[in-house]
Amino acid sequence: MKDNNRNWVGKPLPRKEEGRLLRGRGKFADDIKIREMLYLRFVRSPYAHARILKVDTSRAEGLPGVVGTLTGKQIEPLTQPFIEIGPEPCAKIRDFPLAVDKVRYQGEPVAAVLAESPSLADDASELVQVEYEGLDPVVDAEQALKDESILHESAGTNKVWNGVFEYGDVEKAFREAAQIVNIDRLHFHRFSSTPLENNVVIGQWDPKDDHIYYWCNNSFPSFAIQFLAAHLNIPIDRIRVQTFDIGGSFGIKITSYPQMAVCALASKKAGGRPIKWVETRSEHMTASAHGNERTFRDTRVALDQDGVITAITSRHVDDCGAYPRYEPLGCVIWSQVFPGVYRFKNARIDFTQAMTNKCPVGPNRGYSRMQHLWFLERVVDICAHELGIPADQMRLRNYIRPEEFPYTTPNGCVYDSGDYPKMLAIAKNLIGWDEWKKKQAEARKQGRLIGIGIGTTLDSGTNNFGQSQIVNPHAPFSGNSQGANCKLDIYGEVVVAVGSCPQGQGHETTAAQVVADVLNISPDLISVRTGFDTERNVHTGFSGTYASQFAVSGLSAVHGAAQKLKAEMKRLAAFVLETQEDDIEFGRGAQGPELRAQTKGKSINYWGLANIVNVNSAVLPPEMHDITLNCRYIWRAPFKVPDTKKKYGNLTMTYASQLHIAIIEIDRDAFIPRILDYVAVDDCGTVINPAIVEGQVYGATAHGIGAALMETCVYDAVGNMLTSTFSDYTPITAMNMPKVKYGHIETPSPHSYSGAKGMGEGGAAPVHTISAALQDALFSSGIIIGDSFNNADTLFRAMVGREIYQADKLVKLERRA
Amino acid sequence: MYPRAFHYHRAGSLKEAVTMLSQLGEEGKLLAGGQSLIPLMKLRFANPKHLVDLNFVPGISYIKEDKGSLRFGALTRHAEVEYSATAAKIPIIHDCAAGIADVQVRNRGTIGGSIAEADPSGDWATVLSTLDTTIRCLGRKGERTIPLSKFITDAYTTALGPEEIVSEIIVKNPPKGSGGAYLAFKRSAPVYPTASAAVQLRMEGDVCEDAAIALGCVGLTAIKASQAESALRGQKISETTMNAAAEAARAAADPQPDMRGSAEYKRMLVGALVKRAIELAIRRARGEQVEVSHLYA
Ligand SMILES: Cc1cc2nc3c(=O)[nH]c(=O)nc-3n(C[C@H](O)[C@H](O)[C@H](O)COP(=O)(O)OP(=O)(O)OC[C@H]3O[C@@H](n4cnc5c(N)ncnc54)[C@H](O)[C@@H]3O)c2cc1C
Repeated sequence: MKDNNRNWVGKPLPRKEEGRLLRGRGKFADDIKIREMLYLRFVRSPYAHARILKVDTSRAEGLPGVVGTLTGKQIEPLTQPFIEIGPEPCAKIRDFPLAVDKVRYQGEPVAAVLAESPSLADDASELVQVEYEGLDPVVDAEQALKDESILHESAGTNKVWNGVFEYGDVEKAFREAAQIVNIDRLHFHRFSSTPLENNVVIGQWDPKDDHIYYWCNNSFPSFAIQFLAAHLNIPIDRIRVQTFDIGGSFGIKITSYPQMAVCALASKKAGGRPIKWVETRSEHMTASAHGNERTFRDTRVALDQDGVITAITSRHVDDCGAYPRYEPLGCVIWSQVFPGVYRFKNARIDFTQAMTNKCPVGPNRGYSRMQHLWFLERVVDICAHELGIPADQMRLRNYIRPEEFPYTTPNGCVYDSGDYPKMLAIAKNLIGWDEWKKKQAEARKQGRLIGIGIGTTLDSGTNNFGQSQIVNPHAPFSGNSQGANCKLDIYGEVVVAVGSCPQGQGHETTAAQVVADVLNISPDLISVRTGFDTERNVHTGFSGTYASQFAVSGLSAVHGAAQKLKAEMKRLAAFVLETQEDDIEFGRGAQGPELRAQTKGKSINYWGLANIVNVNSAVLPPEMHDITLNCRYIWRAPFKVPDTKKKYGNLTMTYASQLHIAIIEIDRDAFIPRILDYVAVDDCGTVINPAIVEGQVYGATAHGIGAALMETCVYDAVGNMLTSTFSDYTPITAMNMPKVKYGHIETPSPHSYSGAKGMGEGGAAPVHTISAALQDALFSSGIIIGDSFNNADTLFRAMVGREIYQADKLVKLERRA
Repeated sequence: MYPRAFHYHRAGSLKEAVTMLSQLGEEGKLLAGGQSLIPLMKLRFANPKHLVDLNFVPGISYIKEDKGSLRFGALTRHAEVEYSATAAKIPIIHDCAAGIADVQVRNRGTIGGSIAEADPSGDWATVLSTLDTTIRCLGRKGERTIPLSKFITDAYTTALGPEEIVSEIIVKNPPKGSGGAYLAFKRSAPVYPTASAAVQLRMEGDVCEDAAIALGCVGLTAIKASQAESALRGQKISETTMNAAAEAARAAADPQPDMRGSAEYKRMLVGALVKRAIELAIRRARGEQVEVSHLYA
């Protein structure tokens, strides 16, 4: 399986895309202008929960330059509600891209206005008058589950999904436990990603051919078109989606299909004129998508006398906001990392998801797994502190051991490879663990609070969509696949196309590296098509860029296509050069790359081969007619459908891991947590491009530190979003970043052709690590860290106000004789 | 969003700006650096019909030393102050300019705009109220000067008449033996502080001869913490006196809870900042060169 020819894969090649992106020559959706284009602005709900009594668009329509308006009432009869992934009763939710009878979160689109210029559209949006009747908002998931105020009457409940994940013999493990730790409540906060580029859609429903054309930055277009085709009652092959350079997505741009739908419907109404919608930052913060919030209740942890965890039971309540959309997939996706990096075999997690009057969630970087991994890391650290076991020792006692890989988890996932103890050793070495322990002890004597925290996490990639059947047995999805095409164009150019839509991950570069090794040529000679285009015909139903998988699914497809092309080139060259195929060598001649007949001393270059097939085909005998030098390959992941009753099966192909250590000091007068030192150690198997991987690690680390200390989506009691600008949300900037020491190991994955593992999401390692370090600093003052978001104010309330995080109230340790 | 449509007028002199304002009446608004006004217009919270642009008026961006005072032209950018050796003679002024938001904001935003905006979180008003500061204003009826303490009357409210303009900000050089420092805690660079403290002291040996302490972001305007000042004035500075000043500052603060922090936290924080700023001010009063940087999350 492994490729032995490695001239390019593994090299820190500068990115092919760098030249244009760094010079400001990237082409983004908002750079595109089309003749006759109109501009769309949404009219949005100021209320979190209200009935719509009346929408009056007449004043807006009277404004010169306004071409039309669109309301929920108008689109309802023209469309089907969006597909619901979940089962009954939530399958009955009627989700339209403009609110019809009710609004369910602040910022929900109620109407749209179309005008000749963006500023006219803004003006018109202010003239649309909407009359509301307020309803009781519910902003807390546990409160929502009481069903006192229902968001979707058609579903009759706010509960989206509930399921129990139970493995092993939990009762026995608790009976035999030497000690049991009870944790009352933990909470993972709602945060988001703040891509530099907001959502952008240009949509045209062209009356000439009854096709819909999109120029946009959706990051999972093959998913979007499945939703759109069903919603808009149009055959899927009549929807063309193109993406270009994308300024970040982090999963948040997966759920822009409702806005895409409105642009198409608006275009139809405007006689086929293209409609452009460019999201503002405030719209993005209030109404694009946020990450999932999760509360962990009544956790019980069974341990033996050495602190080895033998069982965990817990009740998890996930908050998906006002519409499920991509949910309830998150209700199972966390179970890809069911035991985290730990060996415990017995567990019961009762998982429920609820809707609240908040912005719908989307698959935000680290999606659904990071919440669970954070929970497990909190469990490990709380148990370690309660039992007086050092955090590093506690982990070493509980980690899955290197010799146990491939490791089958209690729920049937197969962890491909890893070496957590080695990563810990490297991280400790990089940070200077022993010196910090000494400094910490000295600082304590002076009354200073320094904490040392470890976070170990997983970035599971290339998922088995069959897990959707665990949440809904009728879901028609399983497996995973990706398409690619590799061809020699007429003048011998090597051209590669993939079904991904990169947002800064460097796909052009890594795809070229892979093909360069297959053909033994320089990556400079390979052009990789950028962006996504349904009409390139290299996509499958899973194509897009999300969920840490390009290195596996994307590059496997590219590799497959390149191998196919190589085989055809070899056959053709052997025919032309009148030799055997195994006599053919791929090399470089005076005129560039060529194929040589080693025994004959003859050669033919790429142009020669391409010429024969494309424009000189009469020279080919019929038995060569199947050679096209235009090779499409669909790669399929070797998955089976999981056992949906037992919730058992392999849910992901690769498991990259991250181990971070943070040293944090909390000052005693201002309570500002300061990172004194930080290490990030990464293992994503065989590295395709070390520079790109390192860049992804820094990016994910920054995002995680931001999430841990600065970034939180806050709602007040009636559902007003209080963090709708960057002044309030305060995304992390370079100024807030510590210097990150980077280390890595490579445990090649036996599951991917190259040994690579998907990466990039990073498992929110800093969130776990910072919680751990803060707790380490404060545990002796009776404090555990119960929330994933902590800032100076939080620490003040814990340390001085004693309002939150009090260990004696939240944690109970039972020791058995 | 885009701002609502407005008319744009370019003033050629301050006098002309005054004339324009008086002709435009309530619908007219001055545009200086635009770092407060333009974001508000883009959110459509402010919707002026006419903008009178000061950016092309010659000779109103300067920092001059003159008869024991520093004079700042109204259009002097924060960045010009940050990089001015003249302004650095009063170190607390440099602390202020260098700590406002980020490079982009400092390159555009002006000291005159800041004082005129009277944002309760604005850094300039807090810092300048620890110094002897007067605001020169130009109106239809001519010029007048107003001490800063009488200039800002409430949140976003000043003593300026409808067609009056801030033309200059005059700061008296502090007497010999003085030192000051300005410290803020900010959740990230381009946001206003959670709380801030400006401390300006005159020392003789270990004894504090005079003290001025102002607190930012913990009230509707910068708060002069006079009890905190008394706690230091005439005292030998020690841990005890500093703690007393910090306590008095906490008592003087009147913070509101918001995304930057709870009221209790801000109150506690402002005391901590006062104490740290006193320590820095003393070192500077002794002639030590001390770099001061805000605290960031
Ligand atoms: C992201 C961001 C972060 C910021 N962070 C901080 C911070 O941390 N600390 C801080 O202090 N400031 C901060 N600011 C504000 C910045 O300092 C502004 O520059 C300042 O508040 C206003 O100055 P301006 O020149 O931009 O005024 P403008 O925005 O042009 O005008 C502000 C107001 O003053 C009026 N005005 C302007 N000039 C005059 C004049 N000469 N006479 C009379 N009226 C006048 C205008 O009509 C307007 O009403 C921030 C701004 C931004 C955008």
